[in-house]
Amino acid sequence: MSVILNALVDLGYILIFPGFLFCFLCGMLLCGIERKIVARMQKRVGPPILQPLYDFFKLCGKETIVPTVANKTVYLAAPIVGLAALVVIQLFIPVFNFTAFAGNADIIVVLYLLLIPALAEIFGAAATGSPFAGVGLSREMVTIISCELPLVLVFLAVGKAVGNAIGSGVVFSLQTIAAYQAENGCLLFKASMIPAAIAFLLTIPGETGMHPFDAAEAETEICEGMLAEYSGKPLAVYKLSHAVKLLTLTSLFVALFLGGLGTGILLVDGLITFFFCVVVIICVVALIDASTARLKIEQLFKYYWTVVSGLAAISLILAWFGL
Amino acid sequence: MMTFNYIASFFLIVLGFYTIITKFNLVKAVIGLSIADYGVNLLIISIGYVPGGTAPIFTEGEISQLSYFVDPIPQALTLTSIVIGACVTAMSMSLVMKLHESYGTLDTREIRRLHG
Amino acid sequence: MSNLLNYIHFPIYSVMVLFLGAFLIVVLGKNKFLRHLIAVLAAGISLACMIALIKPVMLNGEVIAYWMGNRVPAGGYAIGIAMEVDALSLFFGLLISTAVFVSCVYSVQYMSHDENIPQYFTLFLMLAGGVMGLVLSGDIFNMFIMVEILTFAAVALTAFRNKVYGALEAAFKYLVVGCMGSTCILAGVIMLYANAHTLNFAQLSGIIPGMMSNNSVKIAFALLFVGFSTKAFIVPFHPLAADAHGAAPASISVLISGVLTKSGIYGIIRLTYFLFQTMGLGSFQFLLVFIGCVSMFLCVTMALAQHDFKRLLAFHSISQIGYVLTAVGLYTAIGFSAGIYHALNHTLFKGLLFLAAGAVLHETGTTNLDELGGLSKKMPHTTVLFLIGAFSISGIPPFNGFASKWMIYQACYEKAVESGNIGYVLVTVICLVTSVLTLASFVKVSQSVFFGRLPEKYENVKEVPWGMRLAMGMFAVLCVITGLFPNLVGKFLTHPAATAAFNANGYIDAMMGEGYASSALGPFMNSAQNVVFYEAGVWSPVSWLLILCIVLLAVTIVAVTGKYEKVNALATGEPDAKHALFFSGEEAVYSQVGGSDLFWGFKHNWRHYFSFMHDLHSGILNDYALWAVVALSLAMLFMLIVL
Repeated sequence: MSVILNALVDLGYILIFPGFLFCFLCGMLLCGIERKIVARMQKRVGPPILQPLYDFFKLCGKETIVPTVANKTVYLAAPIVGLAALVVIQLFIPVFNFTAFAGNADIIVVLYLLLIPALAEIFGAAATGSPFAGVGLSREMVTIISCELPLVLVFLAVGKAVGNAIGSGVVFSLQTIAAYQAENGCLLFKASMIPAAIAFLLTIPGETGMHPFDAAEAETEICEGMLAEYSGKPLAVYKLSHAVKLLTLTSLFVALFLGGLGTGILLVDGLITFFFCVVVIICVVALIDASTARLKIEQLFKYYWTVVSGLAAISLILAWFGL
Repeated sequence: MMTFNYIASFFLIVLGFYTIITKFNLVKAVIGLSIADYGVNLLIISIGYVPGGTAPIFTEGEISQLSYFVDPIPQALTLTSIVIGACVTAMSMSLVMKLHESYGTLDTREIRRLHG
Repeated sequence: MSNLLNYIHFPIYSVMVLFLGAFLIVVLGKNKFLRHLIAVLAAGISLACMIALIKPVMLNGEVIAYWMGNRVPAGGYAIGIAMEVDALSLFFGLLISTAVFVSCVYSVQYMSHDENIPQYFTLFLMLAGGVMGLVLSGDIFNMFIMVEILTFAAVALTAFRNKVYGALEAAFKYLVVGCMGSTCILAGVIMLYANAHTLNFAQLSGIIPGMMSNNSVKIAFALLFVGFSTKAFIVPFHPLAADAHGAAPASISVLISGVLTKSGIYGIIRLTYFLFQTMGLGSFQFLLVFIGCVSMFLCVTMALAQHDFKRLLAFHSISQIGYVLTAVGLYTAIGFSAGIYHALNHTLFKGLLFLAAGAVLHETGTTNLDELGGLSKKMPHTTVLFLIGAFSISGIPPFNGFASKWMIYQACYEKAVESGNIGYVLVTVICLVTSVLTLASFVKVSQSVFFGRLPEKYENVKEVPWGMRLAMGMFAVLCVITGLFPNLVGKFLTHPAATAAFNANGYIDAMMGEGYASSALGPFMNSAQNVVFYEAGVWSPVSWLLILCIVLLAVTIVAVTGKYEKVNALATGEPDAKHALFFSGEEAVYSQVGGSDLFWGFKHNWRHYFSFMHDLHSGILNDYALWAVVALSLAMLFMLIVL
């Protein structure tokens, strides 16, 4: 009996909170807010905040055109797999003291799961056989490589900093990091973690393909690259994934650097997390998005492996010496 | 006396490796391998040598506390090693023949289709 | 009769049956059916013997000491020739016999177009027997003999398709440098004999650690270390591996990468953990980790620059060996078990990838990445199997590469914290970055071989025969199983093996009689480390299963409910414009980004490094021989200074 009950609870986590439904709504909202803010910054009126949601349902009603040369299975499966991976990450990221799937929550797992959405998009694009998709996926892969090094350094720095503080060497478990912050306050207020936090914030636009790091999508240049051949439901799912990825990365930032401010009530905590996400989006992502122009792919790589990685490395070294 | 053997075997091994490194001819590389192999064989046999010992061949009951003979194991090892050396030479020479057929040269600087 | 089925005989059976098969094929190989039957049967029996040993050796912790002709040690001296199977040997034996068996099944149909197939199978079984003999042997001279046998067979098999571009050249380079390595091993063996007057591995392990101050022992160590390094193809011997893998038939590439390199790693583990017992020294851990990291990073960048499918895989092979060596060099229980877990996984996924490359070669006749493309519609099964392998090697959860790499990162970072050495943080970062570069190069392979545009000349390509798909399927299933159940792998395979590796005294005692280790080693005895295992993270298959179900459901919904229109082929046979690819109004001239230019943004920033590396791997035999000699000299210097 308890097995069934547990399975039902798990299913609830996966489907409702912090799984699909939560991701869907919050992701779409975040995306809408971001678009609105960018528009306001550029003195435009901008779309309504619910516009991404309308787009999603509209796309769902459209016909799916699978190119004849495409590999249909991979073409159709790729968006779903990417979305599922994002939902899985969301399940592992603690909402203050609550974690849906405890025990699995490890920074390394999150790091690898973060690869899957981009990877799914790459394979989906490759399956279409479009030359635009070819260019797009090449750039996306370089973007992944670029973002990986700063992310790794940030995660190692956080692991070391928390490990130092609780005296057990090194901590990779997201839950322990959350518990530590609940007791000792946010990591963001630790001097050694500030460069890491900045580095992480700078990787969010790269991971989500915002300006100026959107060489992989580059609508005006390569026709949205990897999405060039997508239409209908699969495209809708991709749009949703992009929105959810925004949520995932910002809530990961909240979990790593802004934890410990929870109240213990799940619903309130969820709202607080969402609020923080919105703040991050407004202060960082939208600002960068609105005020910059697209970088070339080799500039992007150079930027991430020098400036951003440098920041993260400073943090790691500081954490290493116990500051 | 054994010191001289050790020096000689060391010299042979180094000479063999030196040949492989500096000579651009495939056949000379094979010769280098053989020389290094002989060096090792000399080393093995020198290690088993006992000054004044007899051949380690005894029949039942003949052996006693007073028997004084060279170590038989290195000799057995040398035999194996010589056989292997001969195989290496045969194999590499057959490859050299084939290489000459298809490349028309034995110069290592030109036999570099696979690189980078 | 029942006496012969006692499990203590199984090690010798598993070696002998392979050699016996080799000779039988020489005699009876004219008959096609008989030849395949003998080969598969020999490989199968060998595998069965290994599996039957799991219970006594892995679970009950026995060490099988098998004296040929029952010549047990007399007066504290080992006279006879022995085989010794502890959990470590069995671990390597198992993964070797698995790879051999699958590769053998694959060969049956893969080699059907070639000439001289009986000779192929003879050499194949000789190679397999050589490696099995190497890992199960308890006698250091026998190890040398087996090394020679396997080098020989591997060289002959590399040159087997001597019409293939560069096959002879690859074989010759491999022969020369490989034989330099073998010569080093022989010289090392004999120098140990000069000091200890025994060739038995266990007895040597008892005597040699007490003699480490002796310079000739140090030199012997350097010789043996370099000798086994040539077999593992770690840097600076990696160009040989790249050449040999690329030229050999795919089924042999599986053995070279999955089996031969493992035998080299096995040799290095035996030397450092048992024979010389130097792993306790920080400088020595540094040596292994350093070589591992250099191999890992250098080879993955080399792989990114390759144009040939199999050559690319070959460089990845060394890169993954770098992971193994790094993890083993950490000298912690979790590091060691992570390392050999990765060795196992590497055999499985790299085997799968090589077989997929072989399938492509079998059907299209080329492995050049710039010529291929769009095969996924023609070879759907091969594509799926390849993707499983590619995800495994890039460490995408939930495949097996992820499980072992996860443990390796954990082990590295813990080592960094424990030893307070910030260098190990760098090691962790290199491991993680290498992983993403691995992923990048497999994206490149899948884009330029299986996806993208199908060149017209491959319109008639078909799926490979069932026997080859079966073999690939075996590897794929094993990849998934070892990825989903790391706990079981730990319980049955890696933890016993790691326990054995940290228990050199037990190994010595099992061979030479109880108490020999303590009396021979005396003050030099390392007390057996208390090996504590814990999972680096708990993997709960149930939640994954749930997610998988939902994904499947969602895919089905999207696929079923999506509105599709029938594709209306025009009279010319071209599809209508709606379902054709979008070319932004230009004439439909297709230009695919070439495989080697795919990561331009990355390569541009590293162009000096890449061009330097390209020049360095000149392909000239003398250069590679020079690297070997320099490595040998450096190793000798290192041993003389440090030990």
